[in-house]
Amino acid sequence: MMTQNGICIKTEALCKNFDTVQAVKNLDLEIATGGRFGFLGPNGAGKTTTVRILSGLLKQTSGTADVCGYNINTQREEIKAITGLLPESPGLYSKLSAVEFLEFVGALNGRNGESLNRRIDSLLSMLGLEGRQDDLLESYSSGMKQKVLVASTLLHEPKLVFLDEPTSRLDPAASAIVKELILILAEETETSFFICTHMTNFAEDVCDMIGILNEGELVTLGSPESIIDLAGTSDLEHAYLDIVGGRVDRKALLAWR
Amino acid sequence: MVRKWFHIAKADFYVLTSGLRNHRRLYSVAFYALGIVWAVYGAPLLIDGVLNAIMPMSAIRAMLMTMFPGLMRSAMMVLWIMLLLFPMTKALEEIKIGHWEIFLSNNVKTRDILMGSFLGGLPLYGLVTLFLAPLVITPFILAFKVSLIGVALIYTILVLTVLTVLWISNFVTAAVQSKLGDSSRGNDIAKALSFVIAFAGILPIYGLMLAAPMMTEILGTDVFLLLPFTWSADVVSWIAITFNGIGLTEYEVAFFGTILQLDLLVSALLACAFSVAILVLTLGAAGRVFTITAGARTERITTVGRENFILRVVRKLSSDSFGTLLVVNMKDYFRKAQNLSKMFYGVILAIVLPIMMALFTNYGTEMNLIDVISSFGMMFAMVGAFPFVGTGFLESKDQLWIIQSAPRGASRFVKSRLVMAAIADVFLTLIVAATMIFVLGLGVVDALLLLGFGFMVVIGSSMVAIGVTARNPNYEDTKSPAHQANMMMAIMIPMFAMMGSILVFIFLAVTGLDVVLESNIEPFVFQVLFALIGPVVLLSVGSIFVISGIRSLSSPDA
Repeated sequence: MMTQNGICIKTEALCKNFDTVQAVKNLDLEIATGGRFGFLGPNGAGKTTTVRILSGLLKQTSGTADVCGYNINTQREEIKAITGLLPESPGLYSKLSAVEFLEFVGALNGRNGESLNRRIDSLLSMLGLEGRQDDLLESYSSGMKQKVLVASTLLHEPKLVFLDEPTSRLDPAASAIVKELILILAEETETSFFICTHMTNFAEDVCDMIGILNEGELVTLGSPESIIDLAGTSDLEHAYLDIVGGRVDRKALLAWR
Repeated sequence: MVRKWFHIAKADFYVLTSGLRNHRRLYSVAFYALGIVWAVYGAPLLIDGVLNAIMPMSAIRAMLMTMFPGLMRSAMMVLWIMLLLFPMTKALEEIKIGHWEIFLSNNVKTRDILMGSFLGGLPLYGLVTLFLAPLVITPFILAFKVSLIGVALIYTILVLTVLTVLWISNFVTAAVQSKLGDSSRGNDIAKALSFVIAFAGILPIYGLMLAAPMMTEILGTDVFLLLPFTWSADVVSWIAITFNGIGLTEYEVAFFGTILQLDLLVSALLACAFSVAILVLTLGAAGRVFTITAGARTERITTVGRENFILRVVRKLSSDSFGTLLVVNMKDYFRKAQNLSKMFYGVILAIVLPIMMALFTNYGTEMNLIDVISSFGMMFAMVGAFPFVGTGFLESKDQLWIIQSAPRGASRFVKSRLVMAAIADVFLTLIVAATMIFVLGLGVVDALLLLGFGFMVVIGSSMVAIGVTARNPNYEDTKSPAHQANMMMAIMIPMFAMMGSILVFIFLAVTGLDVVLESNIEPFVFQVLFALIGPVVLLSVGSIFVISGIRSLSSPDA
């Protein structure tokens, strides 16, 4: 059971509290299979918490959700088998090379042998790491580590990919590769994407649906065009700033002096 | 004028006392007040009471006075080792080059950094000294009935010694840290050094003690007189003698003079000159030591080569995805210097005692297997537990997210770690058991049985260590309560589990079953079975911890 009526993710009144802090409040969401959902919001809005709940790593306080037709309370292992997660910060093994780390992630997902090696080589070459693939990860820059993580997320061909800030450490060329990769995977293989990002330009280019989360609450949901129209702005960045209230007061910037 | 060193010291002190942050001032004052009361009243009262309960002071006074000069030198040597090694170990566990980069970019002089970090740590080590020093000094102060001025002078010398040694430790640590740099590789080497540094400090001292008579013969003088800790120890001895309240005769003072060799003035001058020279030299060299901008952050890029023979064999034996996981886990574990250092530490701890006893006593002669197991069986537990507890399991929470995001990822990860530990345990057991067999001269049958016993204990302890760490991962943080708890549990649980055999023995003796069993079973077989109880209990406890660890690591965060 991969989807239910073309719905890949469905959440109902999903809540998560950390002591007195309400990280996610009554989240109701439906994302279509093969869709590219962009989850926007300021720092600490609850985006990463939502991703962790949906990928089976964190228990919600209340509410429920189905991911690819599997329930997050009872079918976590099934969810993990068909999803991929790119975490917010790189938790790489410093003493492994890129190839060895990808071999490790592949083995965790039950893959090994020649087919895994071929896939690793192709992904590393596509992301421009072929010359450094046998160097230990401790000597990689943060952007290079991010590329390895992107490769590790796609390695086992997940049907749903959670990407938490996928391009935050990448140079423009690598960002463009990731952008195209998402578009072509969604188009050709019906892979669904759930992307947490601060990059409104990236979200506008890649996502067909945007949700804006502010202080744990979903305040806006729709296509990028509809959100821009609704806000009456020229692009998604300005629409976002209007919605979450992040407009800059230039005079206030020097008030600290 | 901005006293930059003061602000660095203040920040270091705040970090050191972060656990008390709400009542920092109150606790600091209270601890020091308590320390002073302890040194001046508590310790003398307590020690006087204990000594009198054992034997009246008049009966042991002569013995204490005769022991005093030699014991003072030993105590000062221990103080030196502790104060040199403990702060260095702590500092190497957490490289702080990042802080220094902030200091240097804010135009702080290197000597201000040295002075600030020295003064920041001083309150803690000063307090430890304040509580521990009276325990050693007081019996002699009581024996000599040293006057108040004498006591004040003794403590002044102790304080000066502590300051000098801490300053040296601070300087050496800074030099080592700046050379290693704040890199993944540098951190790994620093953590590895923090484990072996104890041996680096203690072994030369052992060597010195053993070789001292020979060196004295060659140099024509007491070799200890060339060492700085002797000078301050002798000053303390001379003060106690000079300010005594028991009316030492001229003859008695002359007797102490022949033991101590150098008089009060020469010893005091040497001790002071040493402290001043150290201060001048280190401050002068400070600029050259801190070469952070010259490339401490520069990392050597290591490229991995072809897999070695053992890894290729493991791949052949287990060609599925679990085998791949095992091979990658082995690469990750054995490439970390800190893991190798922990193995080395455990092995040395386990073999040093049998070696020493065989070398310096006639302990090894006519020993059977049960004697060896009773004496050194617990040592195998350290060999198995130490390398696999705490750090070296998971580097970060983010790494755990990656593992958990795979189906049954945590379970497969822990199992592969366990198999990896078992492979390592074979080699560790071989080294330790072979050393014991050789130095204690065991026969073939006993040797094989010791090997089997050793491997069971080592693997059981590794299971406990891995299970305990999986239940409560402390990642790379060696200062966290989780790390302390894991270390404690991984050492204590195997020890208690091994004691299971003693409980069974008591049970058999109480119920009279031991006589029944001994009459029906061969004595040798009975002994072997008895020796196996501990390892079997340990393996069972280890299995429970591994299962519990897997469950805990697999379940989503609440």
